[in-house]
Amino acid sequence: MYKNILLAADGSDNSFRAAEESLNFINGETEITIINVIDAETSKNDVLHSSPSESIIHKRKEKLAKIVELYETNKISCNIRFEHGTPNETVVSAANSGSYQLVVLGSRGLNTLQEMVMGSVSHKVAKRSNIPVVIVK
Amino acid sequence: MVEKFKREWLTAPGTNILAGIVVALALIPEAIAFSIIAGVDPMVGLYASFLIAVIISFVGGRPAMISAATGAIALLVTPLVSEYGVDYLLAATILMGVIQIILGILKVGKLMKFIPNSVMIGFVNALAIMIFMSQLEHIFGISIDTYIYVIITLFIVYVVPRFFKKIPAPLIALVVLTSIYLIFGSNVGTVGDLGDIDRSLPSFFLPDVPFTMETLMIILPYSVSMALVGLVESLLTARIVDNATDTYSSKNRESRGQGIANFVTGFFGGMGGCAMIGQSVINVRSGATTRLSTFTAGVFLMFLIIVLGEWVVQIPMPILAGIMVMVSIGTFDWGSFRFLQKAPRTDAFVMLITVIIVLMTDNLAIGVIVGVVFSALFFATKISKVDVHLEELADTVTLRFAGQIFFASIDTTIEQIEFKKYDKPVQLDFSRAHLWDDSAVDAVDTIVRKFEEKGNTVYVHQLNADSRKIVKELSQINEQHLT
Repeated sequence: MYKNILLAADGSDNSFRAAEESLNFINGETEITIINVIDAETSKNDVLHSSPSESIIHKRKEKLAKIVELYETNKISCNIRFEHGTPNETVVSAANSGSYQLVVLGSRGLNTLQEMVMGSVSHKVAKRSNIPVVIVK
Repeated sequence: MVEKFKREWLTAPGTNILAGIVVALALIPEAIAFSIIAGVDPMVGLYASFLIAVIISFVGGRPAMISAATGAIALLVTPLVSEYGVDYLLAATILMGVIQIILGILKVGKLMKFIPNSVMIGFVNALAIMIFMSQLEHIFGISIDTYIYVIITLFIVYVVPRFFKKIPAPLIALVVLTSIYLIFGSNVGTVGDLGDIDRSLPSFFLPDVPFTMETLMIILPYSVSMALVGLVESLLTARIVDNATDTYSSKNRESRGQGIANFVTGFFGGMGGCAMIGQSVINVRSGATTRLSTFTAGVFLMFLIIVLGEWVVQIPMPILAGIMVMVSIGTFDWGSFRFLQKAPRTDAFVMLITVIIVLMTDNLAIGVIVGVVFSALFFATKISKVDVHLEELADTVTLRFAGQIFFASIDTTIEQIEFKKYDKPVQLDFSRAHLWDDSAVDAVDTIVRKFEEKGNTVYVHQLNADSRKIVKELSQINEQHLT
């Protein structure tokens, strides 16, 4: 079983499925780190849609609440890391930091055209990560 | 001090210089396009972008934020330029700077929190719609070639970044399509049709306007609007950069800095500007954190113009129009549609009214002011709802007040009470209410008096500490009523 797992999550249904899948790779000793990457574009959106800075942090935590709850009910210790930057680069550098043995993330399931326009985070992480990557479809 | 200078200028210099270069490349097409919106030579926008970026890198409050000539300001000054000419725009820019410096000294940054999100969302949406609309005349009804250039530009700016990110896609579109135009020629308008490019550094001169009251009266309304819009966009951008970099910045210093930058820019032939959300996001995404990135953006922009100036006039207009369509799509808050469905009705209304007023008046400043007034009215209405609940117990009659009691809410409070004779003591319970002013204390006095006139014994219960204090100071109610 893996000791330290990095779960890249944005709070979407896909990332919740990834969290569920990660339960297959853990035992009671495993530490899960949920990494949530805040892109500058996300900052723009959050600043426009919630006023005082505390409520932005609160909102971001709330998005991940379902995942945290999942781990808590399974008695797995987990912590959240908020990082600023572009999603794929930030997840890759966290994965390659040496603190984790496995990175788990969801795939948005884009078609070819969407992938061309929006870019696939999971694809890029899979390509550049030095540790095993689990992409949950 | 030295520590702070090092942190704000010298942290990760390589990354910041590269980010600044990327921004400079992305700024060129925008500065030219905004000049065309304002109706001035491209140099007026390019000088402004160079000067504002360089000056703000020293005097601004928010490291890594990019300020330059912007669409918001350009859209405001179009009528001034078409009616009176570019010199009046320069004079208005100088005055805009003065107003912003004064507002900065008065610490107006703090007032920003009185602009609610709904008005801010309306502001960015109206800005996006106006930038988009301003491009239609450069896209439609000109020639088939024009449509083809626009479509190819949009294709390049949206698809190329997925494969190749080192150079900003708008610049790739600009270089590739301008080369194609120069080699093969097409039936399209060019930047040269709209103005000249001057390959020299900006120099100091006084705007050629008569220094009279009449001039002041012409430029003052524009300067006020420019100053307000500039600060609204700058301080909003500062909050976004604060959030994206997880650091705090001084909003008052930023307001003053914006003023200084515009004041100086006006004397060097540049139009007014402010912080740019889109460019600042590009800068932060490229890893910028310091003032050096903003400084580099300005200097490198000027360097490119001096080196490449003669090519700039050859740029086909539809490329700029395509890039501006992308800018407007990026500026629009796409979360607005969910906001309209989920937000309280009054917030949704304020957002829409802000957009509508801007589009009707072509003036972002008026939109913001009307939006703020409406949201203040809605807030006052909402908050002046006080609930009075009557509860008859075995030995007392209790009136429970809930809400904010102040001048606007006392009428609705008293109306809910039926003054009659009860056979038990009357308790006024204020545990869930707050008395705010003299009128509120008067109202409590009135309620007590009216109940006493009907022959009741009245007690005032559970005033919170603040309310009790003003009651003690202002009220005629004597201690025996307070429990």
